[in-house]
Amino acid sequence: MAYRCNVLLCTCTMCVSVGALKIRNKLEEEIKKYNLEDEVQIILTGSSWLCTKGPTLIVQPDDVVYQFLKEKDIPNLVEEHLLKGRPVPSLMYIDPEELNPIEKLQDIPFYHDQRLIALWNRGIIDPDEIDEYIARDGYKALAKVLQDMTPEDVIQEIKDSGLRGRGGGGFPTGMKWEFCRKNPGSPKYLICNADEGDPGAFMDRSIIEADPHSLIEGMLVAAYAIGAEKGYIYVRSEYPLAIKRLDGAIIKAREYGLLGKGVFGSDFNFDMEIFRGAGAFVCGEETSLIHSIEGEPAEPRQRPPFPVERGLWENPTNINNVETLSCLPRIINFGAKWFAGIGTEKSKGTKVFSLAGKINNAGLVEVPMGITLREMVFKIGGGIPNRKKFKAVQTGGPSGGVIPESMLDLPIDYERIQEAGAIMGSGGMIVMDEDDCMVDVARYFIEFTRDESCGKCSSCREGLDAMYEILTNICKGKGKEGDIEFLEELGEAIINASMCGLGKSAPNPVLTSIRHFKDEYIAHIRDKICPAKSCVELIEYSIDQEKCTGCFICNVNCPTNAIIGEKKKPQTIDKSKCIKCSVCKEVCRFDAIKVE
Amino acid sequence: MSNKKVGSVLVLGAGIAGIQSSLDLANSGFKVYLLEQTPAIGGVMAQLDKTFPTNDCAMCIVSPKLVDCGRHPNIEIITNAELGKVMGEAGNFKVEVRKNPRYVDEDKCTGCAACTQNCPVSIALYPVEKISIILRKDDTIKVDAILEEYKDKPGNLMPILQSISKEYNYLPEDVLKYISQELDISLTKIYQIATFYNAFSLQPKGKYTINVCFGTACYIKGGNRILEAFERELGVTMGNTTEDLMFGLETISCFGCCGQAPVVTVNEDIYGHFRVTQVPKLIKKYREVESAENNA
Repeated sequence: MAYRCNVLLCTCTMCVSVGALKIRNKLEEEIKKYNLEDEVQIILTGSSWLCTKGPTLIVQPDDVVYQFLKEKDIPNLVEEHLLKGRPVPSLMYIDPEELNPIEKLQDIPFYHDQRLIALWNRGIIDPDEIDEYIARDGYKALAKVLQDMTPEDVIQEIKDSGLRGRGGGGFPTGMKWEFCRKNPGSPKYLICNADEGDPGAFMDRSIIEADPHSLIEGMLVAAYAIGAEKGYIYVRSEYPLAIKRLDGAIIKAREYGLLGKGVFGSDFNFDMEIFRGAGAFVCGEETSLIHSIEGEPAEPRQRPPFPVERGLWENPTNINNVETLSCLPRIINFGAKWFAGIGTEKSKGTKVFSLAGKINNAGLVEVPMGITLREMVFKIGGGIPNRKKFKAVQTGGPSGGVIPESMLDLPIDYERIQEAGAIMGSGGMIVMDEDDCMVDVARYFIEFTRDESCGKCSSCREGLDAMYEILTNICKGKGKEGDIEFLEELGEAIINASMCGLGKSAPNPVLTSIRHFKDEYIAHIRDKICPAKSCVELIEYSIDQEKCTGCFICNVNCPTNAIIGEKKKPQTIDKSKCIKCSVCKEVCRFDAIKVE
Repeated sequence: MSNKKVGSVLVLGAGIAGIQSSLDLANSGFKVYLLEQTPAIGGVMAQLDKTFPTNDCAMCIVSPKLVDCGRHPNIEIITNAELGKVMGEAGNFKVEVRKNPRYVDEDKCTGCAACTQNCPVSIALYPVEKISIILRKDDTIKVDAILEEYKDKPGNLMPILQSISKEYNYLPEDVLKYISQELDISLTKIYQIATFYNAFSLQPKGKYTINVCFGTACYIKGGNRILEAFERELGVTMGNTTEDLMFGLETISCFGCCGQAPVVTVNEDIYGHFRVTQVPKLIKKYREVESAENNA
């Protein structure tokens, strides 16, 4: 039965967190009310559009996007658009500069410059329905590979495409497969690394939630190329929805004969299972991940031998990231030449980034390599909210670094970002504005890596501890002359002496912030001030007597009763009681709370 | 008394206390004989991971001292030996030491340890007591079902612990001992896994686990302020549970919900764009749910 119109409602973790499921119930109710069940179909998609504007929905075939939906908006929306065919401008995307509503999806700058390869099906299909995936050329690449190509052909095709590992390392995927295939050990294993531990990254989660079959098909292609019969997908336990959708997709694929013995009636056998992580960041490192699947503590080991030589249960193991694998069906379908035509000389194709932080349009972005950071932040991202000033963008999570405004014209590819001191990483991109203290952010990352260090190498375990202590002191105004130099020296030592990627990159956030924002460190140490007014020990809250109207809202909300004054008269803060929790600043509607 | 250092000192037991005393004495100029019953110096501390109360690494403290002790010209180590008779009086003792045979020519041995690895008989210095544990009947059924599912799979410890954790909301000590006994995996190994991964807890968790996201986006948008607000409201610090076992307060490194930062979750419910001022309301909401359940 054909429907007159489709309503694509995003039900990713983020949209669910702001009530997407309530919207669905309300939609169903309202559609029923107008007897539109036979005309309008609700499709629950995954991780689709502007994540920060959720819940969002798209009405097709008109391609009209609605954002920030609330339950009370739904009756009007259903009546106006779905019944009478008149789009509702008040619920549309508002351009932050022009302040006019934009109706069509393609016209929103956020989507305009994106090019979808790994996210081919995002927001278009229902991730729980394998038929919808198949209708979008799903499993066509697998059929092509099994019928017309030898494993060597597949490897050559991927080598020609120039695809590099999207997990952060950037190692050429085709070469890795070749090493694994040529290794005489047997059986071989394929592992998909979906242990997305970087704080501030949600690409892998989104890909799995939006389009789990792309990953499964990608794994089948990879397994065929390397000659593996068994695969594991290592997913973080913090992603319950992703695990649920992936589980459902695997079961469906087995039913359709796409997994198991004799895939597509050929003599190729492959099956996979999900392995749930247990909350250890170091599992993103491939040897730790292998130890974790083996039931050992996730401590890394010395490489070589690399996992392609001796991996899981001592057998050759190929580990790829979710995004790498999800690109494969498109590369096979459209050819290596097409893929190699996108991107820069050394970095081909597209890369998915999760843009978040102090930015208007936070969300999942897939762009061709070589786009500049400035385009990313100001064009796609729509700039910084509340007219604040841009300060830096942090890439690559705790292993990466900060990139200041002066380097915004840097094209994004593996080599160029590395030259700036940061790393591409898995694609987390956090934008920071003038209110963010770079010392505090560096301290935050060191606190994270210090907690997550497995403790095997003393340089990482003890060194990060020492760095954390120094940074905490600086943030408290107890920094000493020479601290900066010592941090630099310590950072270098940790990088040189640690074994795995975690230790080798953990000091990066500190080293890059010293490199680009040394004046902020100096202000903390010498003048005992925090220029961003963020470090609690170095700031004081007060009330602007002229702006305060005495509305009393801060007084009521203050958890320590530190705000004194009569109603309708300007209030004052008792500094001996103030714990600087910032509640007053958050509730004040007149911008009367001053921080200095 | 004259200040001239005379004579020599015998230190009994080469644990950390004995080693430190020997080093101090030797550095003051005394000749020290360090007597140890086991074949090696180091004692219990060399077998520990961390030390109380600072959680410092035990080997990091003790190993430099072992080396100093072994190389000190004033210290003579006598291992594998016992004290026999002590004669004389303060200032002038005579001691008889019984040195047990090593059956190894100490002058020729390089300490390559090849012999220990190839020895067919292994004797633990500190034998582990064999545990025998019987769970309550309903617990036995639950745990046996989990063990049955994963029994023959390689690398099964993680999935087993995850299932146990899901069932009980934490890892009860008795159950861990039971697993150790049934699967013949040492309890040490199980504890190693259970304490390595953040997802496991050895303490009972609250009925509602409040997780404050500490991802980068949430942090710069005030995640730490929200955590502080919860700490104030609940009267517990991060990582702990309220006394009535209602709320557990934890942080998580990232939910991948950065678009809605800052984010808080309570069990399965996710709250995006969370504000400090919502904290009391949220707690109140769950307390009301709870009391409604109790009344029903």
